[in-house]
Amino acid sequence: MIYDARELARVRNPVLLLSAAAWIWLVVDPGRLMMQAHGAAACSRPAPLPASLPALLAMNPPGSLAVGWGLMLVAMMSPALILPIGHLRLRSFKRRRARAIALFGAGYGAIWMAVGGLQLAVAVAAGWLAPSSYLLAAGVAILAIVWQLSPAKQRCLNRCHAHTELAAFGVAADLAALRFGASHGVWCAGSCWALMLSPMLLPRGQVAAMAILAVLIASERIEAPRPPRWRWRGLGKLGRIVAAQARIRLHALQHRSSPTHGRPGG
Amino acid sequence: MAQYTRANAWNNGGTFDNPDLLWYAKGVGAMQARQLSDSTSWWFFAAIHGEYVSENGFPGWGFLPAPPQVPTSPTPSQGDQDLYWDQCQHQSWYFPPWHRGYLLALEAQIRADVIALGGPATWALPYWNYLGPGQEFNIPPAFTQQTLPDGSPNPLFVTARYGPNGDGNIFVPIPPVNQDVMSNDVYTGSDAVTSPPGFGGPDTGFSHFGGTSGNLENNPHNMVHSFVGGNAPDGQTYGLMSDPGLAGLDPIFYFHHANIDRMWAAWNANNANPTDPKWLNGPAAQGEREFVMPWPGGAPYVYTPQQVSSLDQLNYTYDSLQAPALVPAAAVLAERLTRLGAAAAAAKVQKGAAVTPGENVELVGASPAPLAIKGTGARTTVKLDKDVRRKVSASLLGASEAVPPDRVYLNLENVRGTHDPSVLQVYVNLPEGANPADHPELLAGSVGLFGLRKASSKDDKHGGQGLNFVLDITKIIDTLHLANALDADALQVRIVPHQPVPDKAEITVGRVSVYRQGQ
Repeated sequence: MIYDARELARVRNPVLLLSAAAWIWLVVDPGRLMMQAHGAAACSRPAPLPASLPALLAMNPPGSLAVGWGLMLVAMMSPALILPIGHLRLRSFKRRRARAIALFGAGYGAIWMAVGGLQLAVAVAAGWLAPSSYLLAAGVAILAIVWQLSPAKQRCLNRCHAHTELAAFGVAADLAALRFGASHGVWCAGSCWALMLSPMLLPRGQVAAMAILAVLIASERIEAPRPPRWRWRGLGKLGRIVAAQARIRLHALQHRSSPTHGRPGG
Repeated sequence: MAQYTRANAWNNGGTFDNPDLLWYAKGVGAMQARQLSDSTSWWFFAAIHGEYVSENGFPGWGFLPAPPQVPTSPTPSQGDQDLYWDQCQHQSWYFPPWHRGYLLALEAQIRADVIALGGPATWALPYWNYLGPGQEFNIPPAFTQQTLPDGSPNPLFVTARYGPNGDGNIFVPIPPVNQDVMSNDVYTGSDAVTSPPGFGGPDTGFSHFGGTSGNLENNPHNMVHSFVGGNAPDGQTYGLMSDPGLAGLDPIFYFHHANIDRMWAAWNANNANPTDPKWLNGPAAQGEREFVMPWPGGAPYVYTPQQVSSLDQLNYTYDSLQAPALVPAAAVLAERLTRLGAAAAAAKVQKGAAVTPGENVELVGASPAPLAIKGTGARTTVKLDKDVRRKVSASLLGASEAVPPDRVYLNLENVRGTHDPSVLQVYVNLPEGANPADHPELLAGSVGLFGLRKASSKDDKHGGQGLNFVLDITKIIDTLHLANALDADALQVRIVPHQPVPDKAEITVGRVSVYRQGQ
């Protein structure tokens, strides 16, 4: 019916906890999961490159990479799912809510794991062909910046706000939740693929880069849909919130009573 | 003491004998003589509300029938467009205060032009009270004349204004337009006399999603827009007032909004505006755009809801701020408890017993697939979940002051399309072959689709979700319950547009659903 703050808090708090848990895991134990993606790059001295694909895969077990990618996803992307999950809860029967959210997560996760497979392959190949290369990371960063400013990215961001109708009963409801998750995943990946790829190509400092980009992703997500065009896109909304709140508090400190401003006095 | 008094547009028969109207026409003419890029021009002001300046084809501003001849160049700088244009607040609790400031700015500009033309320094914006007595549901005649008394073209006349019957007869049908909203007693929220999302609109402090209009915005505001604009005779286009991207071009727009503003002010005599800082400080405090208007003679007028919350803070008033007598929420609940057979509980409520309304909102049933509204309308079946429906029945059976009976709502979700002038009437369990007009007791409500096109655009504020409507069907459900007919598997819903939907027009309802609000 009507989206309300209390209901959204019921989604927000567990999601933020989940995200925090993923961050803690990443910070406490990044090495085993992240550094293997850059096998040779993590070593401080030159090491012999793997001679074959099996050797490369042994150094970078896909299972381990998948877990790392999944953690990254949960940490960075889950706060952006608060609104769609809230929508799903509101529009579903109470008894089906947990099921609907799980199906949404499955659809969303499937898309991102597929995207992740591609991106990890790129990262592993980069670690093999151009280890310790800040140049490659810089190249991808430039690509990421161009995408970041582009109207195409804005189109993807706009479509992340699509909270559409959902069938309520039976298999149709299951499929609707799955489809909602998958389509959200598609637009999400469209918006953020470059932001997710960039930190993986850094020889070091991946977690710090991820943290900065997670803030960027959250700030973009809460921006209202806008006409697609080339523009500086990023920390705008979070920055504006911080500035506005600071201004309000400063004003309250300076003026204990609240005189009326504005022209209509004359 | 207010400096300016906004008066009834129907004074002096609503003709140019009313000097307020004649000077308004001259002021509009002066503003229309300026360029699109000039922030004191009529066109710039209209774009502040919403615009289609660069669209190819209707409703692009370059494709509207004259008069007026609407310019599409020169456009203002990107900076000015980003600051001022497409600012209107709809489907939000900011709807009333944003429009109050918008009117103040337009009125100030017209007044400045009126004074420059030798008119009265006390000029104030008239209001069109379509809910007033006698003839007042008609548009004031000054708007229908092609020329001013001196023979020059009348800026108040526009070609693209077709009316409820699409025939150029401009009036507001009463009913379905009414002032029931004045019985609400909650700005944001709901209770026995206020259906969700409340008189003023839903909390959109953090995120502008959901697309549900406040009660004042729904009726009369949206419906007057849809009705006055109306279907064009060609069946392809519609009147300016019907679409937020065109409405500011029609001079009647500001008279309509002056009436909405007047209703808000009258409502405030007995009811408070929100005290939540999120409302008071406006969306700018949440990182959204600030409310800003051009102001004659220089620096822009930036304002927040807190600064326009009461007419006491401002320089104007209305010549009449009478509101209809209120029926307190307790009396309405008591009457309902009596009807449901809980006379003892009703007596307690009348005596002032505390009532804790249930805050649990959950889905009871839904239609299976999207519904296209074509021609004379559409029907669908809303299947009800047995267990949740039983909760509703149980709450009605066991109604007391401690556990008030459920309230039940019918929702039209994700209404999308391109045909803003449509007004839809929604009926529940209308007998097969029956004439809807014979069954007002089965009418869930009426909704005007003002804003439909923009809300359906994926790159506009609503992300293409369309509009959502909440209709209170508590009375209908009570009646079914008392007739022992509530243990049905489904409700039959019939949607009837006030005029047949033209073939080329698109209106779809994503889902029709039923929700309960209770323990």
